[in-house]
Amino acid sequence: MAMEPAVDITELYAAHRLALVRLAVLLVDDVASAEDVVQDAFAALARRPDAVRDPSKALAYLRVAVVNTARSALRRRRTARAYSPPHDLSPPTPEDSAVLAEEHREVIVALHTLAPRQREVLVLRYWSDLSEAEIARTLDISRGTVKSTASRALVALERAMHAPVTPSSREEER
Amino acid sequence: MSTTPGAPDLEARLRVALAARADLVRGEDLAPLATATPVRRRWPTPWVLLAAAAVVLLVLGVVLQGVGGRTRSDEVAPEPDAPQLELPADVGRDWKADDLSSPARLDLDGDGRKERVDFLAEPTEDFDGRVRLQTTVSTTGEQAYGIAELGTTIGTSALDPIDADGDGDQELVLYFDDPSAVGGGGYPLVFDLRDGLLVRAVVEDPELLVRGSVPVDGSATEHFRMVHLHDYWFEQGTLWSSRSVNAYAEGNMTLLRPETIVVDAWRWALGDDGVLRHVEEACLRQGLEASQPCGNDTENELPSIVPVAGETIGAGGRAVFDVGYRYTVSVEAGDPATLVVRGEDGRTLRHDLAVADARVSTTQPTSVMSDGASFYVTSASDPSYAQVLVQDGDRLRALDTTGDVELTDDATTRTWLTAGGALVTAVAEEEGAWRAWQWQMVSGAEMAALPSGTVCFDDPSDPATVRRC
Repeated sequence: MAMEPAVDITELYAAHRLALVRLAVLLVDDVASAEDVVQDAFAALARRPDAVRDPSKALAYLRVAVVNTARSALRRRRTARAYSPPHDLSPPTPEDSAVLAEEHREVIVALHTLAPRQREVLVLRYWSDLSEAEIARTLDISRGTVKSTASRALVALERAMHAPVTPSSREEER
Repeated sequence: MSTTPGAPDLEARLRVALAARADLVRGEDLAPLATATPVRRRWPTPWVLLAAAAVVLLVLGVVLQGVGGRTRSDEVAPEPDAPQLELPADVGRDWKADDLSSPARLDLDGDGRKERVDFLAEPTEDFDGRVRLQTTVSTTGEQAYGIAELGTTIGTSALDPIDADGDGDQELVLYFDDPSAVGGGGYPLVFDLRDGLLVRAVVEDPELLVRGSVPVDGSATEHFRMVHLHDYWFEQGTLWSSRSVNAYAEGNMTLLRPETIVVDAWRWALGDDGVLRHVEEACLRQGLEASQPCGNDTENELPSIVPVAGETIGAGGRAVFDVGYRYTVSVEAGDPATLVVRGEDGRTLRHDLAVADARVSTTQPTSVMSDGASFYVTSASDPSYAQVLVQDGDRLRALDTTGDVELTDDATTRTWLTAGGALVTAVAEEEGAWRAWQWQMVSGAEMAALPSGTVCFDDPSDPATVRRC
């Protein structure tokens, strides 16, 4: 007798895709990349249908995959930038045209100047509302490291918000 | 919960900004991939099964697009719940033990008698083949074997045995050496006797069970990168590993770390499924020789930036430098004054000092250069002046600086030489914090500053008042 899938991927996809894309966009800051990240996360789960046997753990699994894949995407982006033309000529997406209030924009720009681990901790804590223990499990670090990283990240964020905008931070913003 | 004094406003602002940014992503803006058909948790009829399967294929077909040519998703995704053990192939019965290898002796089957495990090397031109682990189990008299890849077949020997699954027998621990790692790197390999085979345990989070320095993504600059320090060790038959909480600058063959660092530590246990997992966590203050629990002190030790070497000589002064390359120095009055160096090898070097009222430290700036004569020069009439002179054959050369840090001494950038010979510059940051840097010679004519930590001062004009922030 054929085994039933451990979790229903289409159901997961319908239920969590938007939330995961929103999580990813806070990590990579453009919707196209965020969608790719989430697709990769679901593709990883599709390749390993037995990876998660408990459906209640599927979202946590996908969240880990999104964070890991977003980090890889940023790494690839850094590498690619060395060989890319200085201006992005692709047309704006509808989402790109939406306006973020200046007060929020300042925070988001500063957020993207932080180290990836710091950004991840802040996003998981202040947007995903995860506990320290959940963040520790998601990022595979200790609770103490979560606490110290969050503390340092807030200091760095505040500092970055008061720093003059540099060409590189504008590039991040795009 | 706030983690930083004065941060609640920032935390609230961050929370609102993140929500606002996330809310800009609307469902209707996403590529139209979502399923349009409600999907049930069970498949009631073959027709529904087929229809739903088509939806799954449609979704996954698009999901899988674009994956090729990049990092595979399953390489960055978390591991499955149940990692698979790899059983060893029965190869290498005729391989020979390397002359420098030592058999291991440990109680693999828990009967109180130690088995002898021989390490037979696969013959290859570069001595980089596999190693057959071979023993006779004392309780059964049968041969057991395993296969290890250790990077080299030369000089195989075992580390301390452990009882990672707490069942009273011992597991064999070998190690993979990474000769390319600064300060030594690599990781342990644990072999458990399972069903007559020496099977290598699968490590659930292998990045936490390594030794050496692991770079922080995106931290590399021309002259240094930031690294976390990892280690593993054995304690009364258990395996522990650690990772430094802070990252430290590594570059120019140097690692800038305080003598004692704070680390997260984990004890590793072997499960029935053959997977090695970290099961206990601790905070340790790790010194160069020993470690102790953090207790209430989880903050890092201050970098070595004091005491200040305050003694200098001016025109008419003379000093002896007798550590390493021995030489004497005198400052001859004149306009400009001249530094005269007489080395123990009979060489005499003369150098015109390019500043009025020059003061030459009687401590050598060994952090910059110690393979010959070197000097830290300041000026009594120009407090901002700072310069390093190094021996270049039969002359002295003033080093240029490279990088973002300026070699000067003013209200926001303080520079001094420590009694230990470290040339330190502290640059003021926000909220009274200062970032400390230590200078290193990075080419024949240049020196660069490597970050050594963030500190605060009760009185920024007096480095002796340094404290944690």
